[in-house]
Amino acid sequence: MKIIIDDKEYACREGQKVLDVARAHDVDIPTLCFNPLNEAMRPAGCRLCLVEVLDGGRPGLQSSCSLPVSDGLKVSTKSRAVYDERREVTELLLSEHEQDCRNCPISGECAFSELCRDYDINGVSVCAECPNRKEGCLLSRGVLCIGPITYANCDAFCTRRGYPCEGCHSVMVNEDLLRFGLAAFAKADFHKEEILEAARIFSYEGVKVLDKVMKQEGFK
Amino acid sequence: MKEVNIHVEHLTRVEGHGNIILNARNGKVEKVMWEVSEAPRLFEAFVRGKPYHQLARITSRICGICSIGHTLASLKATEAAMGIEISAQSQLLRRLAIHGENMQSHILHLGYLVSPDLFGVGSVIPLVKTHPDAVLSIVKLHRVANEYSDAICGRTTHPTNLVPGGLHKSPSPVKLRKCREMLLDSVDTANAVAELLLDNAGALPDFSRETEFIALTSEEEYALYDGLIGSTDAGTYPAEAYESVVNEFVVPHSTAKYCKNKRESFMVGALARFNLNHKHLSPMAAKWAERFGLKAVCHNPFMNNVAQLVEFVHSIEDSIAIIDRLLEDYKDEPRPRITPKAGRGIGIVDVPRGILFHDYTYDENGICVKANCVIPTNQNHNNIQHDFEAFAPTLLGRPEKEIELNLEMLVRAYDPCISCSTHFLKVEWKR
Ligand code: SF4
Ligand code: SF4
Ligand code: FES
Repeated sequence: MKIIIDDKEYACREGQKVLDVARAHDVDIPTLCFNPLNEAMRPAGCRLCLVEVLDGGRPGLQSSCSLPVSDGLKVSTKSRAVYDERREVTELLLSEHEQDCRNCPISGECAFSELCRDYDINGVSVCAECPNRKEGCLLSRGVLCIGPITYANCDAFCTRRGYPCEGCHSVMVNEDLLRFGLAAFAKADFHKEEILEAARIFSYEGVKVLDKVMKQEGFK
Repeated sequence: MKEVNIHVEHLTRVEGHGNIILNARNGKVEKVMWEVSEAPRLFEAFVRGKPYHQLARITSRICGICSIGHTLASLKATEAAMGIEISAQSQLLRRLAIHGENMQSHILHLGYLVSPDLFGVGSVIPLVKTHPDAVLSIVKLHRVANEYSDAICGRTTHPTNLVPGGLHKSPSPVKLRKCREMLLDSVDTANAVAELLLDNAGALPDFSRETEFIALTSEEEYALYDGLIGSTDAGTYPAEAYESVVNEFVVPHSTAKYCKNKRESFMVGALARFNLNHKHLSPMAAKWAERFGLKAVCHNPFMNNVAQLVEFVHSIEDSIAIIDRLLEDYKDEPRPRITPKAGRGIGIVDVPRGILFHDYTYDENGICVKANCVIPTNQNHNNIQHDFEAFAPTLLGRPEKEIELNLEMLVRAYDPCISCSTHFLKVEWKR
């Protein structure tokens, strides 16, 4: 019996699930609730192992850890629908999760933070936690605060005390978040180079994205 | 006589990685070594190309314990390079900052790292059962030190309120008064802890080896924030002479550089400061020095612990005096505005573990082109080694466990901050 995963054929046996075939051939499918140490237990609850059935079965998104193989079954692990759904699932999980872990410098040992990275799910900016957001924002007082473009979860420790954020949790790497954050600088009188320089203090990746977004936005 | 082989890998209750090795045969020490295995830190390279106002932010990350000290040394170097004057009020506030850090660091070392040796237990955890009041007092003092540092510096570590030219904003008088109250309230607790440590000070070995002591020194005060480089052997040196005082050199068994001045090694830290500046101790601190039998010039490295305790008390008293002075005429000073200039500047402060040097060169845009930082623990490694060579032979008749403990206590007395990571105990016995 054969199934097709991402346009490639794989031999399989009756009783196997799509995930098992994928794993046996190093096709990457993320999982959280499936425990490789106890393969019999498949609660199929996290919905991260979703694949899209294209042919040979009920079409649509199904969890591969519980989807039985059948001859000629054709699935995709990479379709847009799969990506979007997995991202959404991760985001929902994160919303119930310990918020502090969003900005963890990923060690490679935490499947969940890896997922957040892979699906481009990021934290919020320092502004989101900052009480000055409503009144007395440092930017409006002429102090260069990079809170709008840096990750939070410090409960705006410095800005709350009246000191500008220096981005010790690093500059965000998500373009949308950066674009949104940059709007805060539009009202203040800071030069592009000044902001980039401030951003560079503890960040590298984020500054590259920031630079790109600034260019796109015609930031001066 | 039996063979002794001691190998303590990654000594605990110190900061970072260091190993102790002792091999002895027939009552003779064949090899005794203090080995530093920490990876190089490369901060001097990080800051090259960075603008002047970011240097203190970055170099403060060299250490999680004495980050305030690194910040101050860094700011002083930048200010010296650009000829920036800072107000009398800022100078006093910065003195408070360094007192706060001294208190944080000393109580951490004495309370959590050294006291287990004095009480004969392995860590602070068993003390919670046997001496709950003492542990609570220590935690209270630590909290006071943290809150005090936070109030002045904007954070307990990696301060944000200290900037080139002074302070980002002056802490409010209300905050200062609160600090004063808190410090005043901690006096009794500090005395009680000192009393308890005095009762157990007998556990500190009686060992002396003559050495040179180097610290900031001043005619006016117990120098921590400002002064000249002082030596118990050679008088004083101006800041510019620092390189010829520390004489950094490289040894194969250590990733940290070693130092020496007049003798084969020198010591920095609380004991060095005490030996050079004891005249300026606050009254209560001087009284505690006397009760512990600490007299200048003291050559027993174990007394560094006592000197730290004395300094802790001094920092409380002197802080209160400084706050009183500040409040007599306190202004909300504006954030300093600075025009960068080219130049080289050396900043020196005496931080908990000893004298610290930052030396920066800037171009005309205020971009750092060269940096050098000489860290206290580096200056002590060589002295630890020479102490080992003198101390180990006197221990040989004793059981191995005891020899090991004594050598460990010696290293700990220096309160080394070998880097910024602590590892768990792994002792290897080779027989
Ligand atoms: S810019 Fe800074 S001060 Fe203003 S709201 Fe954001 S974090 Fe707070
Ligand atoms: S500098 Fe760090 S701790 Fe301070 S507000 Fe920014 S992210 Fe938070
Ligand atoms: S692995 Fe969790 S639903 Fe499949």
